[in-house]
Amino acid sequence: MNQAEVDPTQLLKGVLDLAVLAVLAEADSYGYDVVRRLRENGLDHVGDASVYGTLRRLYQAGALNSYVVPSDEGPHRKYYGLNNRGRKALDQSAQTWVSLSKALNHLLNGRSNGHGK
Amino acid sequence: MASNDQADDVATYAASVRAALSNLPTDQSEVLLEDLEDHLREIAADAGGPLNERLGPPQQYAEDLRAAYGAAQVTTRRQDAALHDLQRALARVTGSTWYRQIRAFLPELRPAWWVLRAYLAVLILMAAVSPGYPLGPIPDPTSKRGLVEILATGIAIWLSVRIGRRSRQLSQKALVLAYSANLLIALFAVVVLANMRSFAYSELTGTTSPQQTTFANAFAAGQVTNIYPYSQDGKPLTNVLLYDQDGRPIMVDKSEAQTSYPIGADGKAVTNAYPLTQRHLTGDPVVAPRVALPPWPSPSPSASPNPSPSPSPSH
Repeated sequence: MNQAEVDPTQLLKGVLDLAVLAVLAEADSYGYDVVRRLRENGLDHVGDASVYGTLRRLYQAGALNSYVVPSDEGPHRKYYGLNNRGRKALDQSAQTWVSLSKALNHLLNGRSNGHGK
Repeated sequence: MASNDQADDVATYAASVRAALSNLPTDQSEVLLEDLEDHLREIAADAGGPLNERLGPPQQYAEDLRAAYGAAQVTTRRQDAALHDLQRALARVTGSTWYRQIRAFLPELRPAWWVLRAYLAVLILMAAVSPGYPLGPIPDPTSKRGLVEILATGIAIWLSVRIGRRSRQLSQKALVLAYSANLLIALFAVVVLANMRSFAYSELTGTTSPQQTTFANAFAAGQVTNIYPYSQDGKPLTNVLLYDQDGRPIMVDKSEAQTSYPIGADGKAVTNAYPLTQRHLTGDPVVAPRVALPPWPSPSPSASPNPSPSPSPSH
């Protein structure tokens, strides 16, 4: 498929790990809550399955620890939190992202400036 | 009730997702899907609406899961576009509300099928044991065979329900066997039921062998059950043999009265000698009807006796 427009979900996929790690760095959380918080932060296109799959992969890779919290109204919740490895991964990814976004912003600004003149 | 529906919804959706990911290696799928149900339950509890509408078709959900988990490159064979389209179309059907409603309703029909399959099994058995017997949808309780059939049906229903209620505990092998048996019963039942209809039909119309012709179609006024031939001068004739244009003996319709045919020298009944000798069920002989004989245009001279004048009034 040749798509000229960039699919927001495709764009999101590359940085979903970073987004999930960032949300968990704020506070430990369970799967559905992570989805909700990502959306609250403006990532409207984030899919439930993608977040859940990412959580499981990060957990499997040893970046997260998990524990079960009994809940009154519903099922037991499996909370995820960052461990040392996760925090390190977040720091590295964040640096990469900052430099990447800087470069990209520069490119885009240059384009719009050039356009303006 | 609502939470029940919700649990069903979660179970169905999770099962579909698991099915779609069945080609993942087990160690991977176990880790990935470990608490899928809990997660889905959380979503279902949060707000109304079936999971299908909120998350999209389970196949798509499974695909997203796999992609996010990163298992895609390792295990999935690349599917050609046609197959993918087909899967999407299937997912759309299985994801639709009406499909889910039908799926949800089907289990309630299970006991009905248990009874029906027992009835069909006995029907098939009866058809197999006595192939010539005219099979009816309801066994005739006045006949010995019908009583056996009713009894057998009762026992079969009891057995079938017992098996049906225990089907959840059956082993994989026994389940396969049970499914095959169900399928066989359904298949044979189609054959037996199709034949049953033709039995009933022949009972209604009566059978005619090709050597015989009945007058049923020739006389619109009603059935012809006997023929009374008369000679030209009005005398009733007996044992008149009648044949049609092809030389076949002409048979009249069966009447309620009992007919006794004369036996020929070869020992066979002569069935086309008219009038037939018939007796009512009460035993009284059937009496010939009154007939109005037509007046003939010119009486033959020999037939009418010439009134001869008296020779002489001599005495």
